[in-house]
Amino acid sequence: MSTHSRQALVMIRTNLSSLPRRFAISASMILSVALVVCVLAGFLSMARGFETALTAAGSPSVAVILGGGTNQEMGSDVPAAVIRTLDAMTGDLGALRDAGGKLILSREIVVPVDVKQVADGTARTLGLHGMDAAGPSIREGISLSARRVFAPGAREIAVGDRLASEFGLRVGDMVRLGAVDWTVVGHFSARGSASESEIWADLDAVRAAFDRQGQIQSLKLRLVDPTTLERLQDKIATITGTPLVALSEADLYAAQSGRTASLIRLFGWPLALLMAVGATAGALNTMMSSVADRTVEIATVRALGFSRLSAFLGTWVEAMVLAGAGALLGLFASWLIFNGWQASTIGANNARMAFQLAVTPDVLLTSGLLGVAIGLLGGALPAIAATRLPLTAALRARG
Amino acid sequence: MTETATPYIALSGIRKGYRIGGEPISIFSGLDLAIPHGDFVAVMGPSGSGKSTLLNMLAGIDRPDGGTLRIGTSRLDQMGEAARSAWRAHNMGIVFQFYNLLPMLTAAENVELPLLLKPLTRKERRIRVDRVLDLVGLAGREKQYPAMMSGGQQQRIGIARAIVSDPGLLLCDEPTGDLDRKSADEVLEMLRFLNRHLEKTIVMVTHDPQAALYARRTLHLDKGDFVEEKRAA
Ligand SMILES: Nc1ncnc2c1ncn2[C@@H]1O[C@H](COP(=O)(O)OP(=O)(O)O)[C@@H](O)[C@H]1O
Ligand SMILES: [Mg+2]
Repeated sequence: MSTHSRQALVMIRTNLSSLPRRFAISASMILSVALVVCVLAGFLSMARGFETALTAAGSPSVAVILGGGTNQEMGSDVPAAVIRTLDAMTGDLGALRDAGGKLILSREIVVPVDVKQVADGTARTLGLHGMDAAGPSIREGISLSARRVFAPGAREIAVGDRLASEFGLRVGDMVRLGAVDWTVVGHFSARGSASESEIWADLDAVRAAFDRQGQIQSLKLRLVDPTTLERLQDKIATITGTPLVALSEADLYAAQSGRTASLIRLFGWPLALLMAVGATAGALNTMMSSVADRTVEIATVRALGFSRLSAFLGTWVEAMVLAGAGALLGLFASWLIFNGWQASTIGANNARMAFQLAVTPDVLLTSGLLGVAIGLLGGALPAIAATRLPLTAALRARG
Repeated sequence: MTETATPYIALSGIRKGYRIGGEPISIFSGLDLAIPHGDFVAVMGPSGSGKSTLLNMLAGIDRPDGGTLRIGTSRLDQMGEAARSAWRAHNMGIVFQFYNLLPMLTAAENVELPLLLKPLTRKERRIRVDRVLDLVGLAGREKQYPAMMSGGQQQRIGIARAIVSDPGLLLCDEPTGDLDRKSADEVLEMLRFLNRHLEKTIVMVTHDPQAALYARRTLHLDKGDFVEEKRAA
């Protein structure tokens, strides 16, 4: 080991073992770093959880056709003529057909509806999905967990398991959606994905209740396998008259979640950075008082011939150790608090969607690094101050 | 000891001042001093006369504003902070009035500090630390912390730290100023031993006339200059 690293090591050691003398101010630095880390981790895990929920909701083997030049469900409009054209197309479209050779397809619309919560009577906006009878079976990973789905034309709804438990919706209950009452006839599970926050009903019943006669927002088809999406895209490119796009449900949801997740991060980062500036000022203050507290010790070893570098490193490492402890504390706390925490947000189609916060390794890494950065920045100036201690004055101070 | 043609320590025309609240005050304006190798000099004088300032300049901790300051072959007045820092590590040992031991380190670890600046193995350092602890009569107390020791013992640790890297020059700023008579005499005995038998050149600041008796000669500093010189018998 070089004499430089030995000097630095002993300085670091003596600094750290003198920490109890500065307990209160050091603890306050640890806590403020932990708070910043916790806030950032909260926002990032919310964004990540949202992405995970929506991505899991979309299947790569379900295709969605949108019309009207948009690639999101909102604002999309598929003319009825397109369906007739598709039905008339023979040959391999890349999508599944039934035993009679007819394309399996579901016409869909989504209507935002307000549902009263049992707990406090306030309304929450949810997505009411009107679909053809094939809709539930085209979707992947769906299993009916109570009774049946819905009868064609009837004012019946199936609700996702998560909604059912949150709203206390049992089979046989009547729910007012829009101007009419609907009967809950079934529950479905979607492996815990965001689809469990949806309400499904018959397309014509929804159109009639919400005055959307003749409207189709999107078409859902089941692909033979994920790779046949390209064939479908090629085929619909030949349909003239209206611009159409076909994309996998997974891509559609990923694009939609991307926007919301970015929005969450857009709120989270400035807030966390602003707090980090405050915490850096706090760290600076803590470390300045550490240098003041260690003045005689620093001056003594400097008088013995220790280098300025060792005084710098001793202080800087102390700052990083404190910030690192704060970061670990913050990460541990955020994991305890946020991981698996239920949250909900405006998801696709203006409907509220529930999801779980996900404290993933990348969330931990990013927020942890911000915490350590506070120590790096806040400790740098005091570390420089430690190298510039006027030795004679410091040695006199003891007398 | 007689002064040789080229003394070990040579100060000439040293100027040194401080600014106190913007007001410049002069401590030395043209101080000359020569100390031969192997000398043991006591520096006395009223408080504020510049004794510590002189010692700090000899230690390479402080720098004169003007004049030349040579120790051995090193021109300390011309050296920058990094060079003086390296010089301190290899050429002098310093003993403080309040010992200045690091409270979180054991006696042995405190003594070892100057050795960390040298390219020695852990084992070599251990041997040297043991040897000087033995020399100052504190063998067996390696693992004790300063707080558990008396003032006299702490100062002996301070002396052990000052000599562990075997420097030629030993600088002591009121080394017995905080000790009772008995402990003070033990410490002074030790300094005399180091001077007589290990040929350390010692400059000791003190305001205790008894302490000065241990030195080979005593310089009296007043108003920035030496006013009289007494030689021990
Ligand atoms: N770092 C300093 N800054 C300002 N004034 C100083 C400083 N060091 C010493 N002095 C002043 O210089 C004078 C001599 O101080 P010092 O050398 O400590 O005297 P002594 O050790 O003889 O008591 C005093 O008046 C003291 O106030
Ligand atoms: Mg003094």
